[in-house]
This record gives sequence, C-alpha cells and structure tokens, in this order.
Amino acid sequence: MLDAFLQGLLLVLQWKAFAFMLLGIVLGFWVGLLPGLGGVTTLALMLPFIYSMEPVQGFAFLLGMHSVVATTGDITSVLFGIPGEGTTAATILDGHSMAKKGEAGRALGAALTSSLVGALIGAAALALAIPVVRPLVLAFGSPELFMIAVVGIAFIASLSAQGGRGLIRGFIGGGLGLMVAMIGQDPQAGIARYTFDLLYLWNGLDLVPVVIGIFAIPEIIDLIVRGTSIAGSHAKGRLDQGVMEGVKDTFRHGWLTIRCSLIGTFIGIMPGLGGAVAQWLAYGHATQSARTAEEREGFGKGDVRGVIGPGAANNSKEGGALIPTVAFGVPGSSSMAVLLGGFYLLGLLPGPEMLTTHLAVTFSMVWTIAIANIITVIACFLLLNQLAKVTLVRGQLLVPVILVLVFIGSYTTNGHYGDILVMLLFGAVGYLMVAGGWPRAPFVLGLVLGRIAENYLYISVARYDADWLTRPIVLLLMAMAVGAICYPLVQARRMRTRSGTHA
Amino acid sequence: MHSKASLVLGIAIMAVSAAVVVMALDWPWKAKLFPLIIGIPVFCMAAAEVAWGLLDPAARSQAMEFTLSGEAGAGHTGRKTLVAIAWMSGFFAAIVLLGFPIAVPLFVFLYAKLQGREGWGTSLGLSAAVWAFFYGIFDRLLHVPIPAGWIQQWVGLA
Repeated sequence: MLDAFLQGLLLVLQWKAFAFMLLGIVLGFWVGLLPGLGGVTTLALMLPFIYSMEPVQGFAFLLGMHSVVATTGDITSVLFGIPGEGTTAATILDGHSMAKKGEAGRALGAALTSSLVGALIGAAALALAIPVVRPLVLAFGSPELFMIAVVGIAFIASLSAQGGRGLIRGFIGGGLGLMVAMIGQDPQAGIARYTFDLLYLWNGLDLVPVVIGIFAIPEIIDLIVRGTSIAGSHAKGRLDQGVMEGVKDTFRHGWLTIRCSLIGTFIGIMPGLGGAVAQWLAYGHATQSARTAEEREGFGKGDVRGVIGPGAANNSKEGGALIPTVAFGVPGSSSMAVLLGGFYLLGLLPGPEMLTTHLAVTFSMVWTIAIANIITVIACFLLLNQLAKVTLVRGQLLVPVILVLVFIGSYTTNGHYGDILVMLLFGAVGYLMVAGGWPRAPFVLGLVLGRIAENYLYISVARYDADWLTRPIVLLLMAMAVGAICYPLVQARRMRTRSGTHA
Repeated sequence: MHSKASLVLGIAIMAVSAAVVVMALDWPWKAKLFPLIIGIPVFCMAAAEVAWGLLDPAARSQAMEFTLSGEAGAGHTGRKTLVAIAWMSGFFAAIVLLGFPIAVPLFVFLYAKLQGREGWGTSLGLSAAVWAFFYGIFDRLLHVPIPAGWIQQWVGLA
C-alpha cells in the first residue's frame, strides 16, 4: 500500500504528467474565475485531448483542472458577488459582505486557505477510505439519499433566518426551489411539466443562470444605487493586511474547517448529491457555531466562518466524489460522470482493478488533487492583494464590466437568449427576497436537490411502498431533520432566557 | 419596502404553488407525486406568511443576508433602482438586436459616459478593453458560438 502511495507521487512528478497538470491548473484557474463557464462543461470539452495521453497524464490534466475550479470560483464570488461556479455560491453570502466592508483580502485569504485544507482532507479521505468505503456506500439506498436531501433543506431553512417566521420563509424558499426544479420533462413518466410548450424548458432550468440571477442582480442593483465602489467608504489600508488575517482565521477556526471538510467529503461520497449541496450544508453547519444571538445575526453580513465552511467543503468533496467513482464506477457528481468517461478513454475500468492492479494510478489522483491545490493557492496568494483592490474601483467603471460578465456567463450556459431572460427573472426574485428579508440559500438548495430528491422519492415509494419510512438510517435522518428544525428555536429560547436572567 | 416586498413575494408564491398543484392534478401519479407533496405545503406556508404580514405588518424577520442600501435611509432609492433595471433591460435588448460583439462595447461606453459621467478617454478605453477581453476569451479561445443580432439578420449582414 505504502509502495503504491509513493509510486503514485513519482508518477505525478514525471515531467510530462506534471506539465499536463500545470496546463490543467492554468485552464481551471480561468474557468473558475469566469462566471457561468462550468467546470463540468470544460471537463467535457477537454476529454478529446486526452486520447493520446498515458492514464497518469490524462488524470493529471483533467483532475488538475477540475480540482482548482472551485478554488478560483471563490475569488469571483467574494469580489463581485457573482458565483464563479454554481458550487461557490454560498461563499457570496459572507465573502462578498466582507468585501463590501473592505475586508476582501481577509475573505479571500480565508477562502483559499480553507479550500486548501479541504482539498487535502478530501485527498486524504480518498486515500484512507478506498479499502473501507464499500459498506458505507452500500448502506445508503434511495430512501436514505432522499432523506439526506430532506435533512439538507431542513438544515439550511432553519438556519438561514431567525425566529418562527424566518423558519417558515426558509421552508417556502426551499419549496420554491424544489418547484422550479420540477420544470422540464418528468424523469419517470416522461411528461413535460410546466414547460408551456416551450422547447427551451424541456430540459429544465439550468442552475447557472438562476444562481447568477438570484445572487448577482440584487448586488449589482445595490451597487448602482450606492454609486460607490464595492468596499464603499471603508478603509483602504485593511485590504493589504487582510490576507494573512484570513489565513489565521482558518486555523483559528481549525476544528470548524475540519468538520466542514468532512461534511464535503461525505456529501462527495454520496452518489448524486454533488458540490452545490456540500457548500450549503457546510454553510448551515458554520452558522451553528455561533454562540450568541448577536453572532448569529452577523452571518450573511460578513462573518469569516461563513466563508471558511463552504470553502473547505467545496474542495474536500472532490476527493470524496472520487471514492465511489474509482471504487465502483458510480459517479458521485456530474463532473465525476464526465471523468468516468475519461477512465474509458484512457483504457481503465473503474472497480476492483483500480484498487489492486492500478492502485498506483489511483494514488496518483490523490496526489494530483493535493499538489494542484497547493500550486493554485500559492499562485492565488501572490495575486491576492492586487485582486482585492478591485473592490476599491469606482462603481461606475465596475458595474458595466460585471454586467457584461453576468450576461455572457448566463448566455454561455446553453447558448440561448432564454438563459439571459431566466437570469433576469430570477434576479427580480432575488431582489424581492433580499428586499423582503427572505433567505436565498434554501431556494438554491431546493433547486439543486429537486431532481435528485424526486428521483429518490419515486424509487423509494415504488420499491418499498411506505416501508422505507421505517428503515433505521431513514429514522435517524428524520430525527436529524426534526432536530435541525427545533435546534434554532430551542437555542433562541435559551438565549432569551439567559438574557432575561442577566437583566 | 420590507413588508411590501414580502407581501408581493408571498402572494406570488401562493399563486405559483396553486398553479403547480392544479396543473399536476391531471397527470399520472408518477408525475404528480412530487408536485403535490411539495406544492400543497408551500401554498399553506405562503398563505400563513401572507396572513402574518397582513395581521402584523410591523413584524420583521431578519434573514442572514446583506441588506439593501436603500433601507439605510439613502434618498431616491426607488428612482435609482428603476434606472438600474432600465440599464439591464437596455443591455439585453441591445444583445438581442445587435448581438454581443456590438452590444458589449456600446453598453460599456454608454454606461461609463452617461451613468458614470466618465471622460471620453476613460469610457472609450474601458469599452475597448472589455471588448478585447470578450473577443479574446469567448470568441478566439473558447469558440463560444455568438449569433449575430436580429438587425444584422434582417438586413442580411449575418
């Protein structure tokens, strides 16, 4: 095992494999920065180029590219409030709020360091889990996976707003996201649902224009209304000092970083859930770390823990998602499904052989994830202080550039003007949500989970009738969902009682 | 603003969830299971939210989100918001009518000059830089298919 582990490192360090990894990193760096250009799409576009490569070179190229996309996507999310990737939207809530307070450097430092820690934990999990993961994956059938989706929505709905009314709004937001996800051809009966005879809607709404609209448009309108730079009147000096502060923040909240990385890894392992889910669950978990009502209120307005949580989970999920892909040929996410295509193109068969005959190749993947992230984070740190200064550029100059990115980013999703209309429509929804004090996070999680949850619910009902409700892990997850709903209410009551006692 | 936006959103979600449920009723159970399971509770919760807002308009629920600057007391927020919407709608119209290659520099120039009141040099320089970025990345490097605008198609230039 140790021999294969070291052999994997030597394979990645061969000059050709290393050069291909560097090329992948450069591509991934820019794909992550540009909003709308998805890592999955780029991965698919690059598949034809690996035909002539050796397996290690091919994976170094593809994984090198893919594993840094989420890292640099965080930069766009923090600086502009536009999700660089669908999987980096949660970073906006606190990261962009920090940028508006003149703490862009600190937010970026925290996002990148937590991303690196997350990636390393994910890679370590991949290395350690390979021999023991089989029973875990097999214990989770459709009912359990459906319940994970329910727990996810309960978790984020209950934590993203305050009080009983906030809880209701969170659930309405989650429900709205689930309803939007129903648009398109129904996977079970093949019926076109809510498509209004529009061919564009048959495949459902793409996540990217919806997420760009719901997060970026309210921020842009606010920037136009304020007429200032992103950082507004906040002190210039703090940007330059902030990066190291962000790095220290990650280690100050080291246990939170590790927990969120483990959440990301676990969600990565579960087939079909993907990175967009991992970041929100990690964000929800990060908000739970608030000890007082004042601390809770600070989330969404620039708490560094809201950056660290999603940043760590986003990158750790890659290692996790590779586990079922490599071990069983079951892709953990859409990007892993594309990567699975890469396995076949390179003449490898996922499954037991990857854990025996080709174990060194498998470990080379672990090393690629780790090395690619280390190189990217070092490169980003060299540029961070310059990047953070973007938040001081006058709004009049920044707004047209951001709008061009937002419109092109949405358009490139499907190459259809409908994508821009969808972005604008959900921009209006997002603006109303912000103006009305509604949380946007549950909506996005509902949208992400909609198709997955429906599929698993249908399979559970069709296969087990109502018996699936009595499965032990389902009951445990149900209890977790109830706990997630009750926890903030109990916590709020406890805080009120404590305040009353002190008064 | 806070309660009015909430009310509009609550009523809109009630209408959407009602439509989701009513339209699903005619479908086979495979297709309607999920819409009914989600649509009915969302309708009930949205109705409760609207009722809550009407009965107790002063009650506010704070989301863990940023708050719009207008709420901090800045004047002319409504007018500025409409201006922002007008710029975005205009940009979309320009993209459809003229295509991205013309709409992008035109929009950047007009926004910088008219809205930002920047000088001619800055406005033209920014437009050229954004156009070069757009052309270099999306057209030359990524080969994203960018269609010509409707006007070029009508006059036969595309």
